[in-house]
Amino acid sequence: MSFVVIKNVSKVYQPDGIDSAVRVLADINLAVQEGEFISLMGPSGSGKSTLLTIMGAMNRPSEGSVMVDGVDVYELPEERRADFRREYLGFVFQQHHLMPYLNTLENVMLPLVTSKTSAKEKRSRAMAVLQRVGLANKATRLPNQLSGGEQGRLAIARALVNEPPLILADEPTGTLDSNTGSEIMEVFQQLNAQGQTIFMVTHNPENALVAHRIVNIRDGRMFNESEKEQ
Amino acid sequence: MRIRSIAWANLKRRKGKAAFLIVGISIGIATVVALLTLSRLIKDEIGTQLDQFGANIIVVPQSNSLSLDYGGISVSGVSLDVNQLKDEDARRVLDIPYRNRISVVAPKILGVSNVEGQPVLLAGVNFDAELKLKRWWRLVGQKPAQDGDLLVGYDAAKRLSLIEETADGQSQAVPVMPMAEITSGGGVHANHIQEKAFRIARDRVQIGGNEFRVAGVITPTGGSEDQIIFGSLPRFQKLLGKPDQLSMIEVSALCIGCPVEEIVKQISTQLPNAKVSALQQSVRARAETVNRLTRFASAVSAVVLLIGGLMVFTTMMGSVVERTKEIGVLRAIGLRKRQIINELMIEVAAISTIGGLVGWTAGMLISWLILPYFSQSGLKLEIDPKIAIGAILVAVLIGAVSSVYPAIRASRLDPSEAVRYV
Ligand SMILES: Nc1ncnc2c1ncn2[C@@H]1O[C@H](COP(=O)(O)OP(=O)(O)OP(=O)(O)O)[C@@H](O)[C@H]1O
Ligand SMILES: [Mg+2]
Repeated sequence: MSFVVIKNVSKVYQPDGIDSAVRVLADINLAVQEGEFISLMGPSGSGKSTLLTIMGAMNRPSEGSVMVDGVDVYELPEERRADFRREYLGFVFQQHHLMPYLNTLENVMLPLVTSKTSAKEKRSRAMAVLQRVGLANKATRLPNQLSGGEQGRLAIARALVNEPPLILADEPTGTLDSNTGSEIMEVFQQLNAQGQTIFMVTHNPENALVAHRIVNIRDGRMFNESEKEQ
Repeated sequence: MRIRSIAWANLKRRKGKAAFLIVGISIGIATVVALLTLSRLIKDEIGTQLDQFGANIIVVPQSNSLSLDYGGISVSGVSLDVNQLKDEDARRVLDIPYRNRISVVAPKILGVSNVEGQPVLLAGVNFDAELKLKRWWRLVGQKPAQDGDLLVGYDAAKRLSLIEETADGQSQAVPVMPMAEITSGGGVHANHIQEKAFRIARDRVQIGGNEFRVAGVITPTGGSEDQIIFGSLPRFQKLLGKPDQLSMIEVSALCIGCPVEEIVKQISTQLPNAKVSALQQSVRARAETVNRLTRFASAVSAVVLLIGGLMVFTTMMGSVVERTKEIGVLRAIGLRKRQIINELMIEVAAISTIGGLVGWTAGMLISWLILPYFSQSGLKLEIDPKIAIGAILVAVLIGAVSSVYPAIRASRLDPSEAVRYV
C-alpha cells in the first residue's frame, strides 16, 4: 500500500465578499510510495502550495480524502491533527519561516518542545541533525546571521528532527541563487538516498530532475506524470 | 527546550518590544500608584493638620453675657451665672457612647487678674490635656511639672518683663510634644511664626498674693495664647474665686471624618446646661476636602487604568498580529492551540509582572519627588506592601485580560493561511 493516497481531492476557495467561488484544485488523485522523491511542478497560481498544505494535514479539502500511513487525516479532530503533523510530517516552507528570535539549535529543537524527552536528549538529537546538514558549527547563530543557503539547510534540519516519515517542501530553493539552490538540492538528494520520502514543489526544472517522478499541475488539474529513469 | 524557553528566548532577543510593553504597563501603574499614595498621604496630612488646629468641639455654659474672647470664641465671663460648668462636667463628657472617638478633654477656667499692676488674662488648665491639644506650641524653658508652675504667653511675658532677648539669635525653643509622639505632619507647625530668640530672665511672678514659678514661655503663635498666663486648674480656680467652676471645655475628637455632629449631640445630652458647638467650618471643610481628594484620585486612577488597559490591549493585539506567521508556523509544526496560548501568556505574565514592579517603583519615586510640593511638613513615604502587591496584580490582570483574546484568536488561525504569505 502507498504511504500517501490522495483521492478525488478538490479545493474551492470562497473569498470573503465575492460571490463566485474559486476552484483551485479539481479531482486530484495521487499516490506517494515510501522512499519516493516527487517533484510537483506548475505555473504560479496553479494550486501547488494548496495541494502541499492539503497533503500536510493543515488545509481541509472541499472534497476527497487524504490518507497518510493508513490514517484519514481530515477525520482526526483538530488537535489530534496537530499532533499528527508533529509526528508524521516535516515542513520546509518557501520562506523557510525560521523563528528570528531562536538560534540555530533552538529552531531545530522547536518541534521537540512538547516531547517528554530530556533536554539533553533533545539537544543531542538536534545537534545530530545539524551535523547532517553541515550547520553544527553555527548552532548559536540567529537566523539573520546565516546565509540564504544556510537558512534553507536550517529549515530542512528543523523538518528532519522529529524523524518524520514524509518531508513536504514548498519551493525550498525559491529565494536562493542557483548555487545555493543546488546546495539544498544536494541535501535532499542525500536524504532521499538514505530512504527519506520527499514531496517537493518547485518551479525550477533542473531541481525537478533530481526527483524520481515529476507531477505536473495546471489550473488545479494534474496532467502527464513523467517517470525518470533511475 | 520547552514552551517557556520559546517565551524566554522571545523576551530576551526582542528586548525592544518587551521594553515597549513594559513601559506602557508601568506608566499606567506608576500613575495610579503615585496618585493613590499621594492622595492617601495628603489626606492623612490634612486630617492631622486640621487636628492640630486644636479642639473640634467647644463646651461653654449657657449664657447671654459675652465678655471675654478666647481663641476666637466668645465665652462667658460672668461668674454668677446660674448655669455653670463644673469640674465633674469635664469627666462626664467621657461618658458618652462615642467616648472612644474623643482624644482630649481640656477643661479650663478663664479670668482676668491683676498681675504686678497689670490686668492679665489667666487660664487655669489641665496641662497634660492642654499640651496634647496645642501641639504646635514651642516652649522656651520646660513643661510645668509642679502645681505652682506656669506657662506664659509671649506678649504677656514681655509686658511683665519675664524674658529678655538673647544676642546670639539661637532659639532654645522646643516643641511641647517630643518628636516621636508627633504623628506624621506634626514636625513644625505650618503657621509657625519666625521666632525671636529669647530666654527667661525672671522665673518668679506674683499673682493675687501668691508666688508662682514660670516654667516656660510659649514662643509667639499669633494667637490669643500670646496674651495669657496658663496655670494649673485648681490653683487658678481658687485664685479667681471660682472653685470647682469651668469657663469652658475644649474637646478634640480623633480621626478624619469622625461623626463630630453625633458627638456634639451626645455631649449636649450629657450636659443639658451647656452650649456645645463644633467648629463646623473646619470640620465641614476637612470632610469635604478629603472626600473631594479621594474622589478625584479614584476617578483619575480609573481613567488612567482604562487608558492603560486599552493601550496594552492594542499593543498586544498588534504584537500578536505581527506574529501571525510565526504562530501559524508553530501550528503547522504541530503545536497545539493550548501550547501556543501558554507560550503567549507566559510572555505576557513576565512582561506585566516586570511592568507592575517597575511601575510601582516609579510611582513611589514620583510620589517621593513631588511630595514636597504638596506637603509643607516632612511627610514620610511609607512602603505599603499592599500597594506593591496590588500594583503587580493589577498589571498582570490587565496584561492577561488584554492578551487572552488575541492569543486565542491567534491560536485559531488557519496555519495554511498563516504560512502562505511572506
Ligand atoms: N486562502 C485562499 N483564499 C482564496 N484564494 C486562495 C487561497 N489560497 C490560494 N488561493 C488561490 O488559489 C490559487 C492557487 O494558489 P497556490 O498558492 O496553491 O498557487 P501556487 O501554485 O502555489 O502558486 P505559486 O507558484 O505562485 O506559489 C491562486 O489563484 C490563489 O490566489
Ligand atoms: Mg506556492
